[in-house]
Amino acid sequence: MNPLGEKYLRKNFLPFHFCPGCGDGIIIQAFLRAVDELGIIDDLAMTAGIGCSAWIPVYMHADVLKILHGRAIPAAIGLKATKPSRKVVVFTGDGDGLAIGGNHFLHAARRNIEMLVVVVNNQIYSMTGGQVAPSTRVGSRTQTTPYGNLEKPLDACKVGTACGATFVSRWSTTHSRELTRSFKKALGHKGFSLIEVMSQCPVQTGRYILGSGSPAFNLKWLKENCQVVKSPAEHDEVESAGKIPLGDFLQIQRPEFIEEILKMNERVKAEAKGGEG
Amino acid sequence: MKTLERIDIDRRFCKGCLLCREVCQYEVLEPGKERSDLDHLMPWPARPENCKLCRLCELNCPDMAISVVVKEGGKGTT
Amino acid sequence: MKKGKVKVLQGNEACAEAAILAGCRFFSGYPITPSTEILEVLSRRLPLVDGICLQTEDEIAAIVAAVGASWGGAKAMTATSGPGFCLMQEGIGMAVAVESPLVLVNVQRGGPASGQSTSTAQGDFYQARYGSNGDYSLIVLAPSSGQEMFDHTVRAFNLAERFRVPVIILADEVVGHLREKVFIPEPEELTLVPRKRPTVSAAKFVPFEPDKDGVPFMPDFNTGFRIPVISQAKSLTGNRGNAKEATENIHRIVAKIEDHLDEFAEVSVYGDETAETAFVTFGSLCRVARGAVDMGKETGLKLKSVEVKTLWPFPDELVARALSRVKRIVAAEMNLGMLAREVSRVVRRPETKIELFSKIGGIYPQPQELLRHLEEKR
Repeated sequence: MNPLGEKYLRKNFLPFHFCPGCGDGIIIQAFLRAVDELGIIDDLAMTAGIGCSAWIPVYMHADVLKILHGRAIPAAIGLKATKPSRKVVVFTGDGDGLAIGGNHFLHAARRNIEMLVVVVNNQIYSMTGGQVAPSTRVGSRTQTTPYGNLEKPLDACKVGTACGATFVSRWSTTHSRELTRSFKKALGHKGFSLIEVMSQCPVQTGRYILGSGSPAFNLKWLKENCQVVKSPAEHDEVESAGKIPLGDFLQIQRPEFIEEILKMNERVKAEAKGGEG
Repeated sequence: MKTLERIDIDRRFCKGCLLCREVCQYEVLEPGKERSDLDHLMPWPARPENCKLCRLCELNCPDMAISVVVKEGGKGTT
Repeated sequence: MKKGKVKVLQGNEACAEAAILAGCRFFSGYPITPSTEILEVLSRRLPLVDGICLQTEDEIAAIVAAVGASWGGAKAMTATSGPGFCLMQEGIGMAVAVESPLVLVNVQRGGPASGQSTSTAQGDFYQARYGSNGDYSLIVLAPSSGQEMFDHTVRAFNLAERFRVPVIILADEVVGHLREKVFIPEPEELTLVPRKRPTVSAAKFVPFEPDKDGVPFMPDFNTGFRIPVISQAKSLTGNRGNAKEATENIHRIVAKIEDHLDEFAEVSVYGDETAETAFVTFGSLCRVARGAVDMGKETGLKLKSVEVKTLWPFPDELVARALSRVKRIVAAEMNLGMLAREVSRVVRRPETKIELFSKIGGIYPQPQELLRHLEEKR
């Protein structure tokens, strides 16, 4: 077993229940490598909703709250608010995080509350058997778009940026070293961090949309269809060529929500004391 | 200098997806005939002498079953 | 005598004051009439005691954030009314499943859907108990006054910690908005129940292994226990359970509440204990029934009012005892007969008539209407 697994996985929960070739396990490893290098396993408080990717944190030997479909972000807010020193991480999918949980995503980004939200994008609802997701590309045939998807997909990174996220990255499972580096940056970032991970789902996306259930084929598809970009101009170029841009897109500073609340608390307490005297 | 001691493939976790073989540029791994505990055909290091210790197979193993064990001065470390 | 002070407060304000005294340090809510004052008061008061009050983007986020805060180590609360209560139902089931202490106030208004936002009602009687999916149990308390809003809130926090369960305070618009005298004890006069912490080391800790009373020990996040908390039916380790483990899990989370009903069930009787005609009421209708009992007394009518304070689990035995020699029972409520249904389940005597006095539409009934019912339906 991978030494990171020996060190950080919940042995009695193994093996992963993910299908052969699923990207979720690659993300677990990339994330654990970041956690290991930062030495923060005891500070982690992870939340997740429902879906394949929601099981990612459960296998890690850390505090995990896996609850309702789409609601991982509010739970993370409750955890962050009660102990701001926690490293709060949300694992969500494109359906869980952008459809049913989309509203929470918008508002957490807007508030710039310090947390890392990892959106695992496999372009489909996998756990329920391959239905269209908000990230599914136009024309894709799924179980619920048998004649092709008519809806424009939602770009999580653009939405996150527009709403006020202060760290935004997109990587794919074929870039696991870059992904680890990005996790490390985000885990040290004071504010709302979004990392979208393009991931393969050979069983649903592969079979129904891309034309093959072979894990190798699906990984190759990601390699060929994702491209690392260095500038916004290059980002747009890659996008208009129909490919998926990867990279660290944004890192800026803006007042962090919980920190501001605590400052406000100190201020109003001081004022109340002054009023009494 | 670091050299390969062995490539461990944990039979408790391998699901035979062969992503390790897909990502390896040096054709170290090949499909094997042995079944893992999960009843999948496991890959095996057919050409370990080709290994450049890039660890892509390890990084891309979705079940964290692979570890590339390197040795330095005759001692195996990971 | 208890030390404290008397204030004139709205029920909603009394609830907020009680929450702070009970140790609530996290509140998340979404504005909705007629419960909004709880959110408003706590947004002013919580910062002064190092607490956090969040107005979330919707009621779903409100209850889920409260569950997160609960696992984060805080006593947490949320408040809402009918439509928001609907949105919170999945979250209530989740809080039950992950055994998260939590207080939820539902200041009822008319329904269904948007209903009558500023009018009183008691139509969420069954929703409070059965609104989420699957088999579960929880505790529902029904206050009838500003004082009970205060007392029940403190009690709700204690019961939530004691049983690791969401406790619902099922108030209504009248109780929430009525201003009256409320006695607020000094903090040292309150008995507060602490959370049951693990008694063994993290290495020996089994996340959902229950204590003798069926309630497992609860560590805060980031205290070294590294606990997996999932909202699925689980085994003792916290992992997804097989059929047998899931069955045991569900039986336990129901039994830990229902087997201890004696500890907290409360039914009180107002009026002549020996009366053969009784009203059965809960929440703000207790006040109307009391008025009717008093007015009846003036005209020589022997009446009593049986007030159900612990709505769920329904206190079958206490209600049956209070009604044991009664020949005529009138369940008085602001819905189409939900309490009446429970009473007829509990009191099964052919000679005893169980009648319904029901008033919906948002107009709070007068005591005279109850007396008129007794006369007209005779």
